[in-house]
Amino acid sequence: MVKSGYSRILLIVFIFIFSLLPTTTAFAQGQDTIDQRIYDHAGLLSENDIQELEILAKKYSDERETNFVIVTEDDPKPNDVAEYTEDFYDEKLPGYDKPAGNAVILTLDMKNREVYLAGFYKGEKYLGSHRLDLIREKITPFLSDGDYFHAFKEFILTGHAYMGYWTGIEPDSFFFSWWFQIGVPLVLAAIVLFAMLYSSGGRVTVNSATYIDNQHSKVRKHHDIYLRKTVDRRRKPKNNSNNRGGFGGGGITRGGHSHSGSRGSF
Amino acid sequence: MVIQYKCPNCGDDMRFDSHSGMLSCASCGRKDNIQDLPDEFITNHFDEEEAKQYQCENCGAVVITDADTTATSCSFCGAAVVLGDRLTRALAPAKVLPFKISKDEARAAFKKWCKNGLLTPKGFMSANRIKEITGLYVPFWLYDLNAQAEVKAIGVRTRQYSRGDYIYTEKKYYDVYRDITMDYSRVPVDASEKMHDELMDKLEPFHYQDMEDFRTPYLAGYIAEKYNYDDEAMFPRVKDKISGYIDSYISSTIRGYSYVNYKQRNISTSKRHAAYVLLPVWMVYYDYDHHVHTFAMNGQTGKVVGKPPISKKKVVAWFTSIAATTFVGIKIVALMMGGGLLW
Repeated sequence: MVKSGYSRILLIVFIFIFSLLPTTTAFAQGQDTIDQRIYDHAGLLSENDIQELEILAKKYSDERETNFVIVTEDDPKPNDVAEYTEDFYDEKLPGYDKPAGNAVILTLDMKNREVYLAGFYKGEKYLGSHRLDLIREKITPFLSDGDYFHAFKEFILTGHAYMGYWTGIEPDSFFFSWWFQIGVPLVLAAIVLFAMLYSSGGRVTVNSATYIDNQHSKVRKHHDIYLRKTVDRRRKPKNNSNNRGGFGGGGITRGGHSHSGSRGSF
Repeated sequence: MVIQYKCPNCGDDMRFDSHSGMLSCASCGRKDNIQDLPDEFITNHFDEEEAKQYQCENCGAVVITDADTTATSCSFCGAAVVLGDRLTRALAPAKVLPFKISKDEARAAFKKWCKNGLLTPKGFMSANRIKEITGLYVPFWLYDLNAQAEVKAIGVRTRQYSRGDYIYTEKKYYDVYRDITMDYSRVPVDASEKMHDELMDKLEPFHYQDMEDFRTPYLAGYIAEKYNYDDEAMFPRVKDKISGYIDSYISSTIRGYSYVNYKQRNISTSKRHAAYVLLPVWMVYYDYDHHVHTFAMNGQTGKVVGKPPISKKKVVAWFTSIAATTFVGIKIVALMMGGGLLW
């Protein structure tokens, strides 16, 4: 009896220590990283999905030294997905390098069916509002279909990929497409070879200047008379095509952290 | 009738020497200035015969030529002969541009050209199968032309500016008028039926400052042709040749417009003068892969033209290496800017 009581106490202590252990490790890594990146408050994902996304998010967060965070909410307070995201950042401070540090947050507002992407610090530098727009456009079809897992996965992968591009470079540029990278060398080689074949038999090296007698060639009479004028006007194209579902772009949180942003409905 | 130049010293045959520009004797080294030689043969008026047989005054052999040849070599003793009656007044050239490049230099220059061929097969590049190399005076017409152009057009200047929420495109229309006169001097067109026009066009330019008054001794040692087409017959071709030049001259006088719509272009080209001249060309006949390839070389500048054989292997190799290098280059830049390894 005594023995069993003793072992019971031991068991409780062990459980207590083990239950404490993850938290302690999280605190130990506190300066570098956080333990949770997926906050599925709306319950859109299965336990396995969350596990998988956590592993994926950790891996890519480490590579870019920027935390990829995903938040889902059934009834966000305040009832604005952008403000909610800002408050979330101020509260959780999910920075990678320091609490108020590098992060990219995807927030899903299930009540208003809106999505908001925000980049903080390094996240803001490499994923500006325009790049976030591109990512949002990529994941919106998945969100509309209710395939949240793939949408989140795509968010992490694309966000990671886009962070690799120099700032100011258009990641979706044709320059990075396979048809451009294959096509241009082929076309160039064809042009060069055509020129080589064409000139292999000797080229004509005389031109209009060779035989002209400049002393006796001239314009004898000329005029340029103004006739009329037409003016066409068209509206300036909007340079921000992202603000379909509200104000686009970033802002500053109540806590004073500047961020980029992209907002849309799904 | 056959004209031969015998050396007054030793009696051997004399021929034109491209280095000194004089008539020279290979045996004793005597050189005679051609412009100072008596002018007996070209001022005489010969009747044009279509006879095709001549007797070599050297060895008595019969020299057979086709009807267009005015200078050749005796196929038996090799003596340079000029067929004087083929150079009757109507057919006598006014000027001649003597050869600047000797046969040996022509051979060397051709070999060098072959070696530089980037797409020619390896066997061709060694250039050791020159079958024949012939110095040819090709008959050309040099035209002095005048072209008058009257051009009416609408010129448009466009300007864009933005004010407020709008972008404005302003177009100003102008009535453009030009009356232009253009003179072109000594535009060459080959007058021989045998010569490929495209080949001859590529041989240009010839530098006319070295042109001499025609004397028959210049032809000694070379083959010369007489013209098949007179200057009237060749006029459409020269007109065609300068039409592109005229167009670019006209557009060079209409500047400062975004675009120009031509309403009327009246161009009339007239001949001021046409001179019959002989221009020097080395013809190179080259045996490769059971085919004889013909090349022409400008006898004054050494420029070579003609279609060389093309090695498919080399075309493929060049194509692949250019494409591959460019691809790697683009890929490196893309990777540096952050693109993925597999797009």
